[in-house]
Amino acid sequence: MDLISLYPTWYESTVGSGWVVAFIATFHVLASHTSVGAALLFAYLSHKAYREDREDLLDFIKKYGLFLLVFTYVAGSITGPGIWYSTTVASPNGIGALIHSFVWKWATEWVFFVIEVVGVYMIVYLVGKVDKRTHMKISVIFGVASLATMLIIVGILSFMMLPGKEAWFQHGGYLNGFYGENTFIQLAMRMAFMFTMTAVVGGIVVAGIKDPAFKKEMARKLGWLGIISTLIGAALFQLYLKAVPDQALLVMENRLPTYFEPSIIAVLSGTLAYFILTMLRPQVLVQAFAGAMAVVILVAGLWPEETARESMRKPWVAGQYVYSNQVIGRDVPGMGIKSQIPLLEKEGILKAHPFTPASLRTANEGNKIQAGKFIAMVYCSNCHSPSKTGIRPLSRYIPDNITEARMEKYVKGVLTTGNIAYMPKMPMLDSEVKALSAFLVLNKEGGEKAVDAAIHQEIQARQQAKLADSAKNKIAALTQEGK
Amino acid sequence: MDASQVSQITDMMYALRNPAGLPTYPIIFIGLSVLTFALHILFVQLMLGTSAITLIGAFSQNAYWRRLGAAMLEVAKVSVSVAIVIGVAPLLFVQVVYDPHWYTSNVLSADWVIGFIIFLILGYWAMYYYYFVNGANQDKSATPKARWSMLLSLALMLLVGFIMHSLTSQILHPELWKSWYLQQNGMLDYTGDKLHEWNLWRYAFFISLSIPVAGGMLVTYRRFKSVRSDADHAYLNWAAEVGKKWIKVGSVISTALYVGWMMTLPETAGNFATSLWGILAGVMVLFYAIWAQVRLKGEARFCSYMALPVALVIGLIVATSREILRYDILNGFFHYNFWDYKIVFDWYSTGLFFLTFAIVGGVVLSYFLTIAWKAGQTVGVYTPSAFVNKLGTLSIWIVVLWVVQFFIVGFYVWAR
Repeated sequence: MDLISLYPTWYESTVGSGWVVAFIATFHVLASHTSVGAALLFAYLSHKAYREDREDLLDFIKKYGLFLLVFTYVAGSITGPGIWYSTTVASPNGIGALIHSFVWKWATEWVFFVIEVVGVYMIVYLVGKVDKRTHMKISVIFGVASLATMLIIVGILSFMMLPGKEAWFQHGGYLNGFYGENTFIQLAMRMAFMFTMTAVVGGIVVAGIKDPAFKKEMARKLGWLGIISTLIGAALFQLYLKAVPDQALLVMENRLPTYFEPSIIAVLSGTLAYFILTMLRPQVLVQAFAGAMAVVILVAGLWPEETARESMRKPWVAGQYVYSNQVIGRDVPGMGIKSQIPLLEKEGILKAHPFTPASLRTANEGNKIQAGKFIAMVYCSNCHSPSKTGIRPLSRYIPDNITEARMEKYVKGVLTTGNIAYMPKMPMLDSEVKALSAFLVLNKEGGEKAVDAAIHQEIQARQQAKLADSAKNKIAALTQEGK
Repeated sequence: MDASQVSQITDMMYALRNPAGLPTYPIIFIGLSVLTFALHILFVQLMLGTSAITLIGAFSQNAYWRRLGAAMLEVAKVSVSVAIVIGVAPLLFVQVVYDPHWYTSNVLSADWVIGFIIFLILGYWAMYYYYFVNGANQDKSATPKARWSMLLSLALMLLVGFIMHSLTSQILHPELWKSWYLQQNGMLDYTGDKLHEWNLWRYAFFISLSIPVAGGMLVTYRRFKSVRSDADHAYLNWAAEVGKKWIKVGSVISTALYVGWMMTLPETAGNFATSLWGILAGVMVLFYAIWAQVRLKGEARFCSYMALPVALVIGLIVATSREILRYDILNGFFHYNFWDYKIVFDWYSTGLFFLTFAIVGGVVLSYFLTIAWKAGQTVGVYTPSAFVNKLGTLSIWIVVLWVVQFFIVGFYVWAR
């Protein structure tokens, strides 16, 4: 029996599994980037405190550190594995591809995580309990270790879009997969925005400073940090777009919502305006305003960026060989990986999926809605929610009053052949095309309720047929005995 | 289950393996997984046990208990962080070797997997809330405020522990995976809103180990604080006595729960309960009580520091036994061979990890922990010796060199 590496499907009907991943990822990026930026800022401030013998800077580090400890380290350290958890359930083969290629890189990052966690407690709790020189040394180690976590993860993140070097497909090798033009430009861009985040979040701590002169000094320091990093980050973003595959740019041009570009420009301008305002008039920087602005600027800036990155790599979800629907869509000789498409073309998705129930292994008139829903869940639900809400609902893409015959033509002509640039090729047997089409039409017309009712009917009819068969067999056996 | 059903389940598990393979031998990942799990669960137990002491202190009228509760809250806070960060490692390694099992188990209970993250954050924040409400109060004998938040924190921590317990239990039942996906009414369950499997004996056993581990923490606490010039010896000796009692009573309770777990193992586990590893883990848990009775008599200054390392060694044996149980079920019964996982060797990343682990981790953590240790024992400002200062300078050089090698190798590969 030929089976492929497909897992059961998890379907979150309200927002869609893709958005659950996006929520957690955005939150984590906010927390983790702020932490790394702050770690480097602490190293600088701690060094300055040592050189100039200043207590106020150490006090600022302690306050900012405690704020980070509670909000970004707690949330960041949990949402880090949280991304694994969410991708495990939403995209197991996507995360599996990354884990199996970069397990040692993650393990290396973990060494730095341990250093970071011990370090942040020491930076916060040892202010005033160790001499300034020792505090500076701890801060420098902490800052560089934090940076190392960023260096490591960026290579893995860039692999999600495409392997570092084209040679990886033919020759494999961790180094070919990890390092490339995309890796370094993305790293530089993230580092710039990381300082923007540090400056924005740091405003909350600056808002709490009582001494006007010190408040002004810190507002200016963070303001300059924020302005310079935002401008550099924006320029690097343009450069980053030159380091992504043409396919990604095509998707970006065609698929990203029209509000994407204006919203990015608005966020960048708003961020710069905020920094200029807080530098010129530090007294406006009160905690509620700073907190609200941190949420607005960071979430409004991060959400479109994370959405864009997720959209641009379509139809792939990892390494340009795992489709977003979890099927392996191309050969990777360097890793001994074979495309699963030929098997799917021959056997169909129902037979090749390890979790297809026996009653659905062959699509027919007696199970077509349930089989169709199963196929839609496997092939479509990662990017298109079968419900009315959630991520890009399927029903929105299907015209009103469409016939099953017309739907079949579309499925066969476009989906099974992979004739849409940003969608995976989805091989199906003719019987599966019919089943999926019947489901899509019913889902469009009657929604989930009608689909569930139809599936119930199919199940009942199958059970009745089974009972009738069993009764017939019993009668035949009794008749045989009577003879 | 007949042979053909078993064979179908084995085929399914093999099909689910990630085709990218592993960069080195599976035994290395399993070994690291056991080691890091033992460390992780030790801090989980420390966090639960010290949280419980914080709560006892919060609800007690006894001044010593109040003080102890406040002191153990500090340990609980740090232990959560350390448990989380160390927990990343076994979470990584389980995905490498047990990917068919871990991913299936998770997807089938996906809502709970996501819930885990939310409950853990809330539990942790609830602990911090309790800390911020009471931390500034210098009078540690006063009745704490917002005790509900500490109760909520412990309840949420126990809940996330239960979720994790359930997910790892589900790994052991590949024969039930399909029936969890296809419900009895014939509908497929895409919601992931159920936890399908658990064993309360097993869960209670791992949780109950928090009692002896917290006991070990208390005797260590006494030893650590007793060298300070401002130490209150009467209070510290009292804390150590509580700790010794907790080690002894807790180990006996844990051993009883372990026996309950062994008696409720599924049939697929074969005769694991009466095997060497099955018996050894239970005996070692009981051994902790005996060790405490023999070695922690009187002052026991050195052995006070041994209380937690001994707990770790026992935890390591329990973790090994747990791994062998998993192996016995999945390999012994279902014939899923862990050792024939496809290997695509990658010496560079394997070597880099072990060097980073040993050199960067070893030197930097030695420096950090020395500073933390000495500062904790010093009244006023701690100024390190010349040797410790040199260790700090060396640590800076090592992390900087690591970053430099990252860029040198990276640019070389890019330019090649």
